[in-house]
This record gives sequence, structure tokens and C-alpha cells, in this order.
Amino acid sequence: MINRFLLGGLTVCAIALPAAAQDAYLVGVTAALTGPPASTYAPAVDALRIYIDRVNAAGGVNGKQIKLMIEDDGAQPSKAAANTKKLITQDNVVLMVNASLSSTYAPVIAESKSANVPLLFASGVCPQSVYPPADPLQFCTTGYASQFDSRATLDFVKATAKGPIKMGFSAMAIPLSRGEMDYAMELSKKMDIDPVGQEIIPPSTADYTPFATKLKDAGPNWVYSWAPWVTQVRTLEALRKLGWQDDYIAWGHLEAEAELARLKDGKFYVVNSNALFQEKQPIHQEIEAAASKASSKFPAQTMTEGWIGGMAIEAALKGAGWPADPAKLRAAMENLKIDTKGLRGGPIEWTKNNHFRTRLYYRIYKWDGDKIARVQDWKTYEVK
Amino acid sequence: MQLAVNILVLGSIYALIACGYVLIYRVSRVLNLAHGELMMLGAYLVLATASLFNGHPRMALAAAVLLSLLTGGLVYIFLMRKMTGEMVLAAILTTVALGILVRGIVILIWSAQQQYPAQALGVSNPSLVLFGGARISLWSAVLVATTFVVYGALFVFLRFGRWGMRMRAAGQNPLLAAQRGINLHGVYALAWSLSTLTGALAGILMALDSGLTGSMPVIGLKAFPAALVGGLDSFAGALIGALIVAGAEVLLIYYVDPLLSDVVPFLVLIAILIVRPWGLFGTREELDRV
Repeated sequence: MINRFLLGGLTVCAIALPAAAQDAYLVGVTAALTGPPASTYAPAVDALRIYIDRVNAAGGVNGKQIKLMIEDDGAQPSKAAANTKKLITQDNVVLMVNASLSSTYAPVIAESKSANVPLLFASGVCPQSVYPPADPLQFCTTGYASQFDSRATLDFVKATAKGPIKMGFSAMAIPLSRGEMDYAMELSKKMDIDPVGQEIIPPSTADYTPFATKLKDAGPNWVYSWAPWVTQVRTLEALRKLGWQDDYIAWGHLEAEAELARLKDGKFYVVNSNALFQEKQPIHQEIEAAASKASSKFPAQTMTEGWIGGMAIEAALKGAGWPADPAKLRAAMENLKIDTKGLRGGPIEWTKNNHFRTRLYYRIYKWDGDKIARVQDWKTYEVK
Repeated sequence: MQLAVNILVLGSIYALIACGYVLIYRVSRVLNLAHGELMMLGAYLVLATASLFNGHPRMALAAAVLLSLLTGGLVYIFLMRKMTGEMVLAAILTTVALGILVRGIVILIWSAQQQYPAQALGVSNPSLVLFGGARISLWSAVLVATTFVVYGALFVFLRFGRWGMRMRAAGQNPLLAAQRGINLHGVYALAWSLSTLTGALAGILMALDSGLTGSMPVIGLKAFPAALVGGLDSFAGALIGALIVAGAEVLLIYYVDPLLSDVVPFLVLIAILIVRPWGLFGTREELDRV
């Protein structure tokens, strides 16, 4: 009798628990919380979690809570694929978020396509498939984007440099970073910039000096790097150790603000699509307060990408209504305008054809004596 | 000249890490696959001691080194001691689990962010100009010197020290050594302590030179081929193996393709294993034991 009662109770629980779980928007995240590039992605995911917790504390979206289901992929494609499969098929998420290295994109995209679940790239580089004409399932909020970043960087170098430019390039041995440096080398030729060398550096390298030696010996007076932060900054430091004193320009990842202050290098430029926290806008103070309240291990300066990702998820779910399914969500995301409140140079706009943004804004910073200085204010690029 | 300096620095990194593998293998036949993680832990301990001894970098570094020594002993006492008498494979798998545990602990305590122990200690890393115009950073130079001091000290300790001789005896014939009254657990604990210490020294000096991330254990694995090339039971072999691997890596980066750097240690290893499976200075008997 008791056994039957227990069995009945367990059956009721088994039916009721998934029903309770379905009473929230389920969002799956596969992220590089560990592994070589984790310093770029882990803070973004923490910011995303803090943002969603705030939304939930304020009553959620359309009266429903958002449940973030975060899985670590260690920046490994096989783990990212397994995470995505599990989140889509077992947890029934309505939206997948990828916050990991570009090498994880192909398997995650394949899983998302087979289940028709929209995929948002938040803090990982925007793939070309979100540019017009966009893949119907893929969207991106990340500040850095292939080709556009190199265009903005080389435009700045061309405008800043005095005399002939001999440019060296440094990439991490991952597909997007290598592809971007190849693109930048080709573009530089068209801009009358002389590409003199390219170094492709594996993610786990004990000593960057052998790579920097080869780069230095190619004789560049500018070096451009578009890679995870660890590769960018260690290449710069290795070049400086070798006595190379020319100009170095790199993408301003989340770590850039603290790193500019650490390095105090007047010839180190960072190209940014996010406003640095030293601008002290109200949104920056809001993020700082939220990070402090959540006792995050990561500095607020590293949270912009995750925060914007959170803004996008909130806006998309609001547009999809309740109950949401992947099709409704996708339709909502195809016509979305996200107010970044000054974190970027303007809003992020997605259309049916463009899941990237219609306009890009770039600012360039460097260390100037005793503070970080803006050396170029928002410069706009149209995305067509 | 710069290439020679680069080989010396990379070879020293690999040699300092590799001697930790050799120490434990020689004494207990166990391949410590958590060596990279213990090396990383030593570097992270500097962050902890830097805040504890604020403004006293030497004390902070000394404390981190001592904590690493203690950590190695504790790993043996609380984990590896239970593996004594079990199959070697079980002990090796235990070290794999230990590595996963250490990686998790490090992420939980210090997060995945890139850290800079040199900044935490308030020490700089100037570039030193050598003869021929070659350059080396201060902490790289310290790493090279440390490697030679460590190998010299280990040679003296194992050849002339009482506990060193006990370690050699335990490595050659543990049963006989135990029958002669040698405290095997004490010897093994000492080997784990010294191995963790040498790994931590490598981790600390690399982190002082170029920063610290949770990916450091991968570098520990890249040094493993250096130990195998030289022969897993030979310190001289580890030193020479490290220089061979580093030489091949630096020269191929410069003259062929930088992308080869990840595979070079393993290519060298395969080449040596084909010709001399027990390594350049290893003993044939040890191969049978593996």
C-alpha cells in the first residue's frame, strides 16, 4: 500500500516538474568558461547571468521568468556540440547562445539548424552568416566582427601613420583569427600598406618570444593583431622585450581597459565598439553596482558584451510573447531594435536580412601619459 | 644570437617542468599527469601570498614556493598514498582526476581571468640586452638560472644526500629498500613535494614573465615529450631532451612555419621512440616496467 502511494507520488512529481520548468523561458548557453580563451568569455557569461537575474527579480519578461542553462565547453568544438544537443533536445530551450571560440561555431550551428532553434552569438565574434543576407536562424550582438574591424583598424592606421607603413600581423591559430588576418593583409595591399609578415600562434604557447622574433625581423613599423586577448597582448609584450618600439594596434576586448592601464604603453592602440567604463555613463554605473551586488569575481569593465547580450535576449523574448517557441522568437528577432544606452555608439538593429547590425561604430583608445585617452571618437560604418 | 637565447629560455621551461615528471617516475613509476595543474596551482598561490605579504615580494614568493612544497606532500599523504600497492595504471588515473580537481579549484577561487602575479607583487620585468644584441626578459633570465640551480641541486642531493640515496634505492628496488628500513612513504612524499616544487617554480617564473591563465597545464603536457625524449628515469636526459625539443620548435617557428610549434615536441618524440624507445638516456629495463 505504502509502495503504491510512493509510486503514485513519484509519478505526479515526474509529470509536474517538467511542467513547472516550462513555466519559464528556457535559454541555453554553451560557453568557454574554462580553456585558453576563458578570460574573454567567462566574464561575459557572468554579466549575462547577472543581467537575467535582475530581469527576473524585476518580474521577468511578459510575467515569466527566464531560465538560463549554462554549460561549459572549454572552447572545444566536441563539447560545444554535445552541450547544444543536450540543451536543445533534452532541455527544450527556445534560444541557444554561443559565448565561445569560433572553432565551436560549426557544430553548434549544425545542431541549432537541425532543431530550427535560433542561435545568438553573444561575446564570441560575429560570423559572416549574420551579415546580409543573413542566415534565418543566426543573430549576433558581439562588438567585434570580421572584416569590418580590420577595415576600421586599417583606416585609422592609414590616417594616423606618418610615412610609409610596413605592417606585421599576428593571429591565433583558430579559423576566424587567421581568416581575418588574411583578409587584413589583402586589404592592406589595396590601401597602399606594405604587409611584411604574419605570425599564427597556437592557443597554448609557453613563450611568445620565438614568434615575436620572427615578426620583428620582418621589419614592421606597425603590428596589427585580431585574436583573443591573450595572443594580442603577449605578442605585444614579447615584441617590447625584444626592443621593438613601434606602433601596435589590436582589438579592444573586455580586458582592454584594465590592460591599457597595466601596460602604460603610449604606442599601443585598441579599437573598440564598446565605450570604456572611464566614460562613466549612467549605464556603466548601473553595471558596476549590479556586479558589486552580485559579488562577481570579474571586474565590471569586462561585462559590457554579456550585458548587451542580456539586453538582446530580454528584448527578443518580450517581442515573442508567451508562450514562446523557437519560431515565434525567430520572428521577433528579425525585427528588433536594442537600445544599448550608450554602451555602443548607437542601437543594435536586426532586420529580416541583417542579423548583425545596420551600423557599426568604432572608437579608438590608447594610454596617454597618466590616463586612457580617446584618439578617435565614434566612427560609423554602414552595413549593407 | 636571439634564436639561441630563445632556445635556451624555452628549453629551460621544458626542462624545469620535465624534471618533475622524472622525479616521481624514478621513485614510484607513476606518471603524474596532474603535473601541469600543480605547476599552475603554484603560480596561482603567488596571487594569494602577494595579498598576504603586501609590499614584500620576496616573502610572498618564498611563501608560495613553500606552500607548493607542502601541497606536493599533502597530495601524496591524502591521495597517492592510498594508491601504494595498487596497479600503476590506477595511480596514473588518480593523477588525471587530481588534475581535473585542481583546474576546477583554480577557476572557482581565481576565476578564468588572465592574472598578472608580477603586478600583484609590484615587481617589473625589464628587458636585458646580452652580447650580440640579443635580449632576454629579467624573469626569463631568472628561469634559466633557476633551471640550472635546480638540476645542480638535484644532482648533489640524489648523489650525496641521505634522503637522495634513499630515493634512488626506493626507485631501484622498493621491496629491498623497505627491508633495509627505508621509510618508503616518507621517500614518496618527498618525491611528490620536490616534483611539485620544481613544477611550481616553472609556473611561477612563467607567470611572472608573461601572465597567468587557466590554460597553463597544456604547457605542462608539452614538456612531457621532453622527459620522454631524454628517458623518463634520467635527469640529464630530461635536460637534454628539453633542449632538443625547444631547439626544434624555435628553429621550425623561425625557418619553416609557426604553426608547427604545437606538434614539434610530439614529432621529435615519435622520431626518438622509433630509434630508441627508452629515450636518449633512459634505461632499457625501465621501458619494461612502463
